[in-house]
Amino acid sequence: MAKEDERRLLFSYLKERFGIPELVFDDFDVFRKSKRWWLLRKTTNVNLPVRLKVSQVGLKAFDRVGKYLKPATGLIQLFGRYAIKGVYQLREDEFEKLLRGDPLDVESTMEDGFLILRLGEHDLGIGLLMQHKITCRIRKTERQRMVTT
Amino acid sequence: MPAMLFEEYRELIPDFDSFVESLRSPLPNHLRVNQLKPSPVPLVPMLHRKGIFLRPVAIGEDTFYEAPGTLLPGKLLEYFLGYIHPQALTSCLASLVLSPRPNSSVLDLCAAPGGKTSHLAQLMENTGIVVANELHPRRHAPLVHTLSRLGVLNAILTAYPAQEFPLRQRFDFIMADVPCSGQGRWRLSRAPYRKDSGKDVMSLVEAQKKMIVRGFDLLEKQGLMVYSTCTYNPAENERVVDFLLKQRDADLVPVGNFPGTEPGITQWGKEKFDARLQRARRFYPHRIDSVGFFMAKIGKRR
Repeated sequence: MAKEDERRLLFSYLKERFGIPELVFDDFDVFRKSKRWWLLRKTTNVNLPVRLKVSQVGLKAFDRVGKYLKPATGLIQLFGRYAIKGVYQLREDEFEKLLRGDPLDVESTMEDGFLILRLGEHDLGIGLLMQHKITCRIRKTERQRMVTT
Repeated sequence: MPAMLFEEYRELIPDFDSFVESLRSPLPNHLRVNQLKPSPVPLVPMLHRKGIFLRPVAIGEDTFYEAPGTLLPGKLLEYFLGYIHPQALTSCLASLVLSPRPNSSVLDLCAAPGGKTSHLAQLMENTGIVVANELHPRRHAPLVHTLSRLGVLNAILTAYPAQEFPLRQRFDFIMADVPCSGQGRWRLSRAPYRKDSGKDVMSLVEAQKKMIVRGFDLLEKQGLMVYSTCTYNPAENERVVDFLLKQRDADLVPVGNFPGTEPGITQWGKEKFDARLQRARRFYPHRIDSVGFFMAKIGKRR
């Protein structure tokens, strides 16, 4: 299980970057393996995972990419609704462009870094804003599956 | 062709000619609406705008729908967002029959590709713990993908052979949807099932017997297990459950009287099974318009 300071680092990042309150995650334990973190709903059966040889725990939540923390698509799709900043509202044509793997040119005042890609009311996942360009960080296979519709 | 394949079940399957006819028609698309990731906008009109007309499988039903016509659900945005999951109706019923409580401990002995596991998590309201066990590493990626896409937050993944799952822990609920010859899916896949070799099926049956016994031994005192297959073969169904009833102090709980289903059988050829097997259910595609299935609900004798 991840240590308390590590946990604080992850959730304070979500608070600072996206305005997602830390208390949203009070009911979760955090696990880390190498440069990846997972969330597991707290349970009274705390000893169960200890007694078993476990391959994976809970929902993948973060990867460390270089010096940056990248929230996982699954995390954003579940908790993105709590975000009050760091969100890029996509138009349908922009969404299509990102699905094809093309970057978006944007005139954004947002600080460079990861942002939440939102289409209508739906939180899709993570994009990366760098020098007025947004690239999609949703897995290529997922994007390609949808692009042909 | 279907009549030849299943001729040995002519006396077992009611209205055999209709059964054979049903295998020639395509399998309907059934979708489960995932309540772990509710859509912020109503889903049925959202899909309607894309030309997909969802029909509830029963009046008042808001979880299981049929989507008539050709549909590739995996290409939909709603699939990517985890709002829907394509799943055979019978597969959904297995989780409903088990009905794990919130905050309970659940073991899915053979979890990939994760449809039932995620449904169990939904019924548990994402609380408690689900152990998703899958022996084969190549099936872990699709399993993890399904659980992640559907927003499952209470699952851990293990990779034990089901029949050797460690006895260090007991569970409130166990799903034993075991590997089988897959005859019930024939309409879906049109692929030959594993009946080709009698030896293969017999080795499957031996593995199934070990799995059902191990599943039972992993149950808490008040625990419940569902044993299920997608095959018509009594050797993989009633014979396996009968074996458990002889080996352990187990009892069968009525599965429920789903319309269009048949009770488990108590005799196959000269082979007789425990009378309690009538509490199990057989699901046939011409009666329920889904894949063929078998289900038994098992508890400890009180």
